[in-house]
Amino acid sequence: MITPLPIDVPVVTSPAAPGQPARSYWEQATSRLRRNRIGVASGVVLLFFVLVALTSPLLAAIFTHTDPRSIDLLNTFLPPLSPHHILGTDDLGRDELTRMFYGAQVSMGIGFLAVGVSLTVGAGVGLAAGYYGGLIDGLLMRFVDIILAVPAIFLFILMSILFKPNTITLALIIASVGWGSIARLVRGDVLSVRTRDFMVATNSLGASDLRLILRHLLPNVLHVLIVFGSLYLGQVVLIEAALDFLGLGISPATPSWGNMLTNSETFFFHSSWLVIWPGLTIFITVLAANLFGNAIRDAFDPRLR
Amino acid sequence: MAAPLLELHDLKTQFFTPEGVVKAVDGVSLELHAGETLGIVGESGSGKSVTALSVMRLQRPGKIVSGDVRFKGRDLTKLSEIEMREIRGQEIAMIFQDPMTSLNPVFRTGWQVGEPVRLHQGWDKARAMGVAVSMLTKVGIPAPEKRARDYPHQFSGGMRQRAMIAMGLTTTPKVLIADEPTTALDVTIQAQILDLLRQVNREFGTATILITHNLGVVAGMCERVMVMYAGRIVESGPTVDVFAHPKHPYTWSLLRSIPRLDEERHEPLKPIEGLPPDLINLPSGCAFHPRCQFKVERCSRDVPALTRVGDTQLAACWVTQSGQELKGA
Repeated sequence: MITPLPIDVPVVTSPAAPGQPARSYWEQATSRLRRNRIGVASGVVLLFFVLVALTSPLLAAIFTHTDPRSIDLLNTFLPPLSPHHILGTDDLGRDELTRMFYGAQVSMGIGFLAVGVSLTVGAGVGLAAGYYGGLIDGLLMRFVDIILAVPAIFLFILMSILFKPNTITLALIIASVGWGSIARLVRGDVLSVRTRDFMVATNSLGASDLRLILRHLLPNVLHVLIVFGSLYLGQVVLIEAALDFLGLGISPATPSWGNMLTNSETFFFHSSWLVIWPGLTIFITVLAANLFGNAIRDAFDPRLR
Repeated sequence: MAAPLLELHDLKTQFFTPEGVVKAVDGVSLELHAGETLGIVGESGSGKSVTALSVMRLQRPGKIVSGDVRFKGRDLTKLSEIEMREIRGQEIAMIFQDPMTSLNPVFRTGWQVGEPVRLHQGWDKARAMGVAVSMLTKVGIPAPEKRARDYPHQFSGGMRQRAMIAMGLTTTPKVLIADEPTTALDVTIQAQILDLLRQVNREFGTATILITHNLGVVAGMCERVMVMYAGRIVESGPTVDVFAHPKHPYTWSLLRSIPRLDEERHEPLKPIEGLPPDLINLPSGCAFHPRCQFKVERCSRDVPALTRVGDTQLAACWVTQSGQELKGA
C-alpha cells in the first residue's frame, strides 16, 4: 500500500464553520420548505386527498356503508346532512360522499400518473437533447415544438375518441402533451450545466455517457423536475376534470369529480350541493397543488423569491 | 533509453466552425517517459489545453484529423469509446484549471474522489469512501473523514484543487495531465499545490505533463519543457538549457518579458509586440514572424520544421537554424 506523503500539512482555511455538519442542497431546500407555513398546509391537503384515494373502499365501508354505484330511486336528491347520507344523494339516489371518495382515486391516480410519465419522458428527452446536441437536439426539439404548437384541447379530444378513456389511458393522453414543456426546461438547464468543467472532469475519469447523464447530470437538473412536477399536478387535475365534464374522460359509471359535475349541472338550481361538492373539491385540490408547487419552487430556488 | 510511455506524433486537432477551420493543434509531436515531468508553456489559445484534451480524446467538438497518440504502444486515437474509458481515469488522469467548477456541486467531495475506483475497480460505496479518505489525507486535507462528507462549496480553492489531485490519483495512473493547475489559485496556495504535485510525482512515479503559461512554474517543476505557439511546438529541450539559451525568438521574447527583481528600477516592461495570430488565418511561413524582431525574408515564406539547434534543444526557427545567436536589442 502507499505510504503517506511527507507533506507538512499547512493550515487550510475553510468557509464552513468548524463543527457545523455539512448540509446538502436537498437538506437546505427541505428545511426552507418546512418553514413555509402555506406550503406545509397545502402539502398536508394534498396528502389528505392522496390518502383518501388510497383508502376509498375502506372509508366508504366505515363512513357510508354503501357502494358508489348503488342506485336508490326512493331517495334521490336528498340534501346534505340527511340520515345515512352526510353530503346528500344525486339524481339516482347514489351517496355523494361515497362518490367523492372514489372520485379522489381517479383525480389523484391520473394526476400522479400523468405527472410521473411527463417527467420521465420529458427528462429523458431533455437530457438527451441537451447532452448530445447537434442533430439529436434538433430533431427532438422540433418534435417538441410541433407537439406544443397543436392546441392541446384538440389533441385531448382526438385521442379520447381514438382510445377508450380509463384511468391509465387518460393519464397517458394528458402526459403525451405535458412532456414537451418539461423537455424544453430540462434541455435549457442541461445546456448550461454541460459546459461546466466538472462534466469534462468526470468524463476524464472514464465515466460512460449513460453514467455521466444519469448520475452526474440528472441531479443537477432535478430541481427543475421537482418544481415543474408539483406545479403540473394542479393542471393535470383541472384538465382531467374538464375532460370528464365534457364527457371525453372517464365513463360516467365510474365516479370522478369531473363527471359528477356533468351529471349535476342540470340540477344546479334545485340541488346546488351536487355541483358544490365536486366543484369545491377540485378547486381546493388545484389551489393546494399550486401553492405547494410555489412553495417547492421557493425552497429549491431561493433566488426566485 | 526505454520506450516512451506516451508518444504524440504529428497530432492535428481542428475545430470546424462557420467562420472556418481552427487549427488548434497543428502537428504536435512529443514524448513522455515514465516518472518525468514535462512542461508545456504558451500563451492562451496556443493549443496547450487542446493537446492535453486530445490525448484523452475529450477534444469535442474539435476533431483529431491526423497523427497518433501512443500510450504504452497502443494508438489511443484508434481505440473504441469503451476501450478509451478504460484509459481515462485509470491510466491517464487529468486535473483542470478551475477547481471551483471542476467538482460537481451536488455531491459530497468524498463521493466524487471515490468515483474513479467505483468506475474502474467496481468498488462499492463504502470501500471507495475509504480510499477517498486516505487520498484526502495524503494530499493534506485536515480532518479528512469529516471533510469527505462536505460539499465542494465548503472547500476553499486550494482544498478543491487538492481534492481534484486526490481524485486523479486514487487509481494510481501512469500519467497525470495537469492543465494549468495553479492558474486560478493565489500565489501561496500555488506553491503548496506545486509542492504537492512534485511529491506525488516522486512517490507514485507518475509521469506528469504540466501545462501552464507561468514560466516560473516550469522552471521549478519540469526537467523538460516545450514551448507552443499557434498550435505548434516552436522549441523544446531541457528546461535549464531552454531558459538559459532560448533558441526560438518567441521563447526569447517570453523570457525577456518577465520583470526581474534584480533589474534597474523604472525599467519599462518589455512586452511582445503584436497580438497572437488568428488560428483560422495563420500568417504565411512561420506563424510568429509578424511579431519577431529577428525575422529574415525567408520567415514569411516557408514554415520552419522543428529541428536540432545546439546540443540539447529543438527549435523551429530559420534564424537560429542558420547558426545565428539571439541577442537582445
